[in-house]
Amino acid sequence: MTKQEIFDKIGSIIEDRFEVEHDKVTNDLNFRTDLDADSIDFVEFIMELEDTFGAEISDDDAEKLNTIGQVVDYVYDHQETAE
Amino acid sequence: MKIAVDAMGGDNAPEEIVKGIELARDAYPDMEFQLYGPKERIQALVTNEERIEIVHAASVIAMEDEPVRAVRSKKDSSIVLAATAVKEGRADAFFSAGNTGAVLAAGLFIIGRIKGIDRPGLTTTLPVVTGDATGSFTMLDVGANADYKLTNLEQFAVLGNFYGQTVMGIEKPKVGLLNNGTEADKGDKVHRAAFEQLSSMENINFIGNVESRELLNGAADVVVTDGFTGNATLKAIEGTALSMLSLIRSKIMASTKAKMGYVLSRNAFHEVGQVMDYSKHGGAVLLGLKGAVVKTHGSAKAETVRNTMGQIHQIVASGLIAKTVAYFEDAKATTTDAEK
Repeated sequence: MTKQEIFDKIGSIIEDRFEVEHDKVTNDLNFRTDLDADSIDFVEFIMELEDTFGAEISDDDAEKLNTIGQVVDYVYDHQETAE
Repeated sequence: MKIAVDAMGGDNAPEEIVKGIELARDAYPDMEFQLYGPKERIQALVTNEERIEIVHAASVIAMEDEPVRAVRSKKDSSIVLAATAVKEGRADAFFSAGNTGAVLAAGLFIIGRIKGIDRPGLTTTLPVVTGDATGSFTMLDVGANADYKLTNLEQFAVLGNFYGQTVMGIEKPKVGLLNNGTEADKGDKVHRAAFEQLSSMENINFIGNVESRELLNGAADVVVTDGFTGNATLKAIEGTALSMLSLIRSKIMASTKAKMGYVLSRNAFHEVGQVMDYSKHGGAVLLGLKGAVVKTHGSAKAETVRNTMGQIHQIVASGLIAKTVAYFEDAKATTTDAEK
């Protein structure tokens, strides 16, 4: 999957889950500061990512993910390791 | 209907859980059970496998495990596997007597919220004890969320109203907001706003604020509260009841006259015990999720497990979840149309 494809999938999850407008979804969007999200929202989001991409994201790794760009890179890197 | 059972949850698991499930199997011919736990151990306890499937779960989430971390890391645990069965549509309800936090986390993160519901509410049923009353009332949220917003209270009112109608069988349940006084201006900012909001909702029969001292007198059929207050109230009710019983017992034992009086009024004491017996009221339901999630006391014995299955039977048979999903879908469609 290309980074753009991963970005598109994550973008649609964010739009749906956090009711964010399409043009606000950028690589710099920060889940912890730019969205009205608490720790429960974040765990739900991480688990949806795991379901969508079939990769396990450890709690330690999840704590380091703050922006869409970081999640895209994370999924991209772990997908390459898996192949 | 199929029920996914965490056979390893609770102080008396798996023995009492399995025994309770067999009682429920005999009582409800349309119920099928999946028991999640170490296969050989569970198999040795089941006396008749009719409508009982044993599904191997290699690990157990212990009472002391940190809930969210345990649910995310112990993928082969009885709680996670049972919740996954509901998520994947292989079961209609998930039942456990185990680690409450883990059951809530599994419900929330694995089964997931109904679209349109921000936070699920932990819902419990308690007895109404006034006079000859043999009824009960339902209260939510009793501890799924420590923090809350106005929208959560609104949604709890809707969820509780559905529960009152479909599971408790009350046509127009009296919905009350738990507050520190009955007047409209009582409470913090959110509770004052919630009073206004619930008053304007045409689809619920809102009767205003209710005080905790009136709950057991049947002030409302559905009591709406935030999780912090609800949990504190529930524990105060349970604690007061137990303390009163202990005080009465100690006073009876302290004198011969009182003991003689007890002998004469023993039946009345027995009836009080029957009314207050929480095992008859089943378990706490996590409302607002895409499947039925029911948690019973950790100390549950077979009879409580059986009674909780009766409650789950009612929840599933009434179509509560599907009705709730449809309501919030309609509400969203109406909001979207209004925005256009």
